[in-house]
Amino acid sequence: MSDASGIIRGRELRGDLKLDVDAVVVGTGAGGSVALRELARAGLRVIALEEGGHHTPADFTQREDQMLPMLFQDGGGRTTRDLAIRILQGRGVGGSTVHNTNLCKRTPDAILELWRQRYGVSGCGPTDLRAAFESIERDLSVSEIPAAMRNANNDVLRLGTQALGWRGGQLKHNRVGCIGSGFCELGCAYDAKRNALKVVVPQATAAGATVYSDVEVTRVLYKQGRASGVQAIARAANGEPVAWLDVRAKVVVLAASAIGSASLAIRSALPDPFAQLGRNLRLHPGAVVAGRFERTINGASGVPQSYECTEHLDYEEGSDKRVWIVPAFAHPIGTASTLPGFGARHMKAMRAYGNLAVLSAMVHDETSGRVEVGPGERPLVTYDMTTADRVQLAKGLVACARILFAAGATEVTIAAIPPITLRSAAELDGLSTAFVRPHGLPITAVHPMGSMRMGDDPRASVVSSTGEHHFVRGLFVSDGSLFPTSLGGPPQISIYAFAQHLSPHMIARARA
Amino acid sequence: MNFSAPKGLRTVGRRRVLLGVGGVLLAAGGLVGAVRTGGYDLGPAHPGALRSLSAWQFVVVQALARRIAAADDPNDESIPSADAVDVAGFVDAYVAEMHPLMRLDLVRLLSFIEHLAPLGVRAASRFTKLDGATQDAVLSWLESNDQGLLRGGFAAVKSLVFMGYYRDPRTWKILGYAGPLVGRPVGGWQ
Repeated sequence: MSDASGIIRGRELRGDLKLDVDAVVVGTGAGGSVALRELARAGLRVIALEEGGHHTPADFTQREDQMLPMLFQDGGGRTTRDLAIRILQGRGVGGSTVHNTNLCKRTPDAILELWRQRYGVSGCGPTDLRAAFESIERDLSVSEIPAAMRNANNDVLRLGTQALGWRGGQLKHNRVGCIGSGFCELGCAYDAKRNALKVVVPQATAAGATVYSDVEVTRVLYKQGRASGVQAIARAANGEPVAWLDVRAKVVVLAASAIGSASLAIRSALPDPFAQLGRNLRLHPGAVVAGRFERTINGASGVPQSYECTEHLDYEEGSDKRVWIVPAFAHPIGTASTLPGFGARHMKAMRAYGNLAVLSAMVHDETSGRVEVGPGERPLVTYDMTTADRVQLAKGLVACARILFAAGATEVTIAAIPPITLRSAAELDGLSTAFVRPHGLPITAVHPMGSMRMGDDPRASVVSSTGEHHFVRGLFVSDGSLFPTSLGGPPQISIYAFAQHLSPHMIARARA
Repeated sequence: MNFSAPKGLRTVGRRRVLLGVGGVLLAAGGLVGAVRTGGYDLGPAHPGALRSLSAWQFVVVQALARRIAAADDPNDESIPSADAVDVAGFVDAYVAEMHPLMRLDLVRLLSFIEHLAPLGVRAASRFTKLDGATQDAVLSWLESNDQGLLRGGFAAVKSLVFMGYYRDPRTWKILGYAGPLVGRPVGGWQ
């Protein structure tokens, strides 16, 4: 039942379990794995319950049709309620750190300062968090991606950004021993990702923690304002329940993502007197632009994202510069699903696959989405993008097109419906941006944040600046749900670091 | 470039959209009940038992796959057809692993496409009985529909079909895609 890693596969349980521990962590991604490790290192009896399976590099076949259902929520088919935005989220031991592209950016100081001033977050300034960032970056071997590992798609972004005189630069990552296969989004078959699955969860189990995979937490339990445990179901591969788990614990840590944690909290009817729970969701939504080149790009090969353009990104609230631009090349199924149209014209467009460079514009969004619980107790995500955010997305897509032309593209297609095909940058001057609207172009979100945000004012937040629920003692949040706003960039390092920074509060509560 | 606030599709509230689409789907359900769902022939190409789809649903997926993954050059025999790579068989197996509520949504959508969507281009016939050009017109109508849920539904079906089509190594040649390194046979994927 338990493999060499000490992880117990819930699908192989043969009977119901009653467990009595000091702390239980829900989810094993960036936030959950660090909380688990720190609680275990403090000598506490701690377990983690992970809804998805436990997969190892030997399971990562590099095939989209097999990895999407294995590594992603709803087989990669999770969307907002109106089907307008696809939300890609990880599922399994390691969470989204298994399939992400390993980008490591600290929370910008300006964002931390904004949270302090505007959202009443205390004790989480740049100086407060420095030790946590440094510690997690050491653990994960974070380093700048060498220029030699920049593939042609990323080089298109660099060339175009520099030709336009825009701001850009090389990104950092947490890989060691990368061979540049280009299949990062489908799990690393070469075990080169220094992520929660490879580094942090093993550290936690080595310190005495136990992880159960295939176990879905259905309710958080609390009484008289104190967390008391969770109820959960272990499921077989076909989804059928095989065992029920009743876990008693003084500390419950929610780390199941901005969507999963909030929906679990709502299902559990946690106190929410100021109607904050599930609100303020940010998605960091993005859309793509493809450029066709005479030269071969072969964007599917090599490190997928190693360069960024930040010319149109600052972190002021309400700013007119809220777009982060990065490469976004996909393997065939992802590309085919994103390119507009179908049939013969679509296949003709797909034939240019090897000569395409693809960039994504992601909006540092201010739209306030919402997580609720729908039929079958499934998460329901409402997100009506504001006009200001749509304008930002339009600007970002136009900026992507300018970069592609500046890098030598002979033709640029904005993946709107119908597609917008341009043959020179001059055509962008007269372009109407009315296509940027719900369902007007494929929009994808990979960085959900908010939904249980932190702050010292219970009327405007769900948890305090220590990560503990305002009204349920011993209930903590340790994932992207915490963040009062979007980060404007990849959140993984911020989630790891906040978990590290807040873990002493969890430990203290478990010992109390 | 004009950065004026983009106008939405028809700015209809979600409740109205849901009521509208819900009503349409309800009517579709009634029609499906009235118009029998029998008489759909799986044909000899799919001998295996279906895992999740019924016969009529399978035939609708087959028809959708033939149009969505149609070749740009019908005379190029090196391009495998949607039937040759068994897109519908893949979708049947994939849907079997889906959450039951997602499966139900898909079945409702297939019912809508088969029985009501043709009316969108004034074709009074089942989708599976239409000629290829009219089927394409129906799909274009769905893809650019004013109702966001229909556009989103089409996008979901399109993703499923392309997952079924481009999962097959025979289709990778069309793109010049080398395929996974893991498990790659000597001489490359065939």
